Amino acid sequence: MSGGETSWRTSRKLDQWIAFWSVPFFFTLFGLVFVPLSWMMPPRSPQNSTPHIVDFMQSHNLLIACVILTLAYGLAPVSNACYLIQVKRMSVSPAFRYSMMIGAVTGAIVGMLFPMFCFGLGAFRPGYSSAVLTMLYDFGYLAFIGSLGCFCVMWMAFGLAIILDENRILPKWLGYYTVWQYVTELMAAPVWIAKSGPFAWNGLMTFWFAMILYVSWQFLVYICIYRAIKNQLEAELDNAWADLRPTVAPAKSSA
Amino acid sequence: MTDVARGSTPQVDKPVRAEARGQVPGDSSMWFFVIGDLLIFGGYFVGYMYYRGRNHELFLAGQAQLNLDIGTVNTIVLLTSSLFVALGTAAARVGNRAESLRRFWMALAFGAAFPILKLFEWIPEISRGLTPGKDLFFMYYYVMTGLHLCHVALGLVVICFIIRNVKESVAPKISFVETGATYWHMVDVLWLVLFALLYLMR
Repeated sequence: MSGGETSWRTSRKLDQWIAFWSVPFFFTLFGLVFVPLSWMMPPRSPQNSTPHIVDFMQSHNLLIACVILTLAYGLAPVSNACYLIQVKRMSVSPAFRYSMMIGAVTGAIVGMLFPMFCFGLGAFRPGYSSAVLTMLYDFGYLAFIGSLGCFCVMWMAFGLAIILDENRILPKWLGYYTVWQYVTELMAAPVWIAKSGPFAWNGLMTFWFAMILYVSWQFLVYICIYRAIKNQLEAELDNAWADLRPTVAPAKSSA
Repeated sequence: MTDVARGSTPQVDKPVRAEARGQVPGDSSMWFFVIGDLLIFGGYFVGYMYYRGRNHELFLAGQAQLNLDIGTVNTIVLLTSSLFVALGTAAARVGNRAESLRRFWMALAFGAAFPILKLFEWIPEISRGLTPGKDLFFMYYYVMTGLHLCHVALGLVVICFIIRNVKESVAPKISFVETGATYWHMVDVLWLVLFALLYLMR
């Protein structure tokens, strides 16, 4: 995978490859838990009847899904690490990297951890009133789909870093595509207003359209990051200094 | 967004037109952006037409409440700005920096009038209760013109960078000027479609 005759265990890019392969693992788990296990996604309608909402919020599968995702949440920093290592190589201000990092952290808390707590709470203790469950349902979906600002900053920082970078770590067109990621967050803003139709949180424009853009972006960025890691010179690695030691030490002992 | 042509056209002293270089004007990744952006807006246009077909009366009633005067003035303002961008690019290509700079300042002035006029349009509408929550037409109206306004804002920043490029550099990067101009023309095209769909179509 990392090329050359060295085994993958001695690859100097092993850290990056582990972070890299955590991404498909993370997203596969996401997909399985979100769709067939709990049917949280595609989003249920904001106009669902109260008995439907109560049934959904108290289902055991939903509780199991929330526990799995709350545990797997720790993989989010690992998968972001492999992006950030590449952003660090770009000829842009570190402000981009830090904005991206903090945007990812705050975005994931609101966009992932909050919904997991909301959906998980419903099944945790039977007997919550239906009004409370409905509020948690709204809270969960709005936090998941309508958590806009942090991701806006994150995508904008990533997109601009790619566009302004003169080392050409990632292709420029990917930078422009990332700017659309920022636009998808703006597109989702009407979920705070509309309760039905194409602009509701399960709507054609706010969810499906943004999802098509997002999923294809995720695949493209993944391929580009793969190539960036592969093309990175070993001397340029952050841990390059650490690899000097073994070559010096045996020379001393043999003398 | 800078110059893709840097490596491919070394030691060229006199400005060369993009066609003569055998490539599209500006950065080719900008064309990726332009086509993709048109497709994204295309998705909105199709969605708008679909829901308009299903709620014809509602959309017509909404359209009748828009301010056609400001819409028309804004169209003229944006077209004029685009004209100055084209003229400024032409002047930059033949190496006339002073003229190019003057035309880009004009383009910036006309472009900056657009968001100001938009405020004069939106604020009275919102205070009359025509908010995005009123009905589906107004949601489409604010989302589409809002997304477009974000493009305009970004375009104004790009024009500022073009002005800096032309002003401070003895040999301005023509590729960068063309890239910015391409973007600004796209913003213009999008507005023309929006204007037709939202204000004119009956």
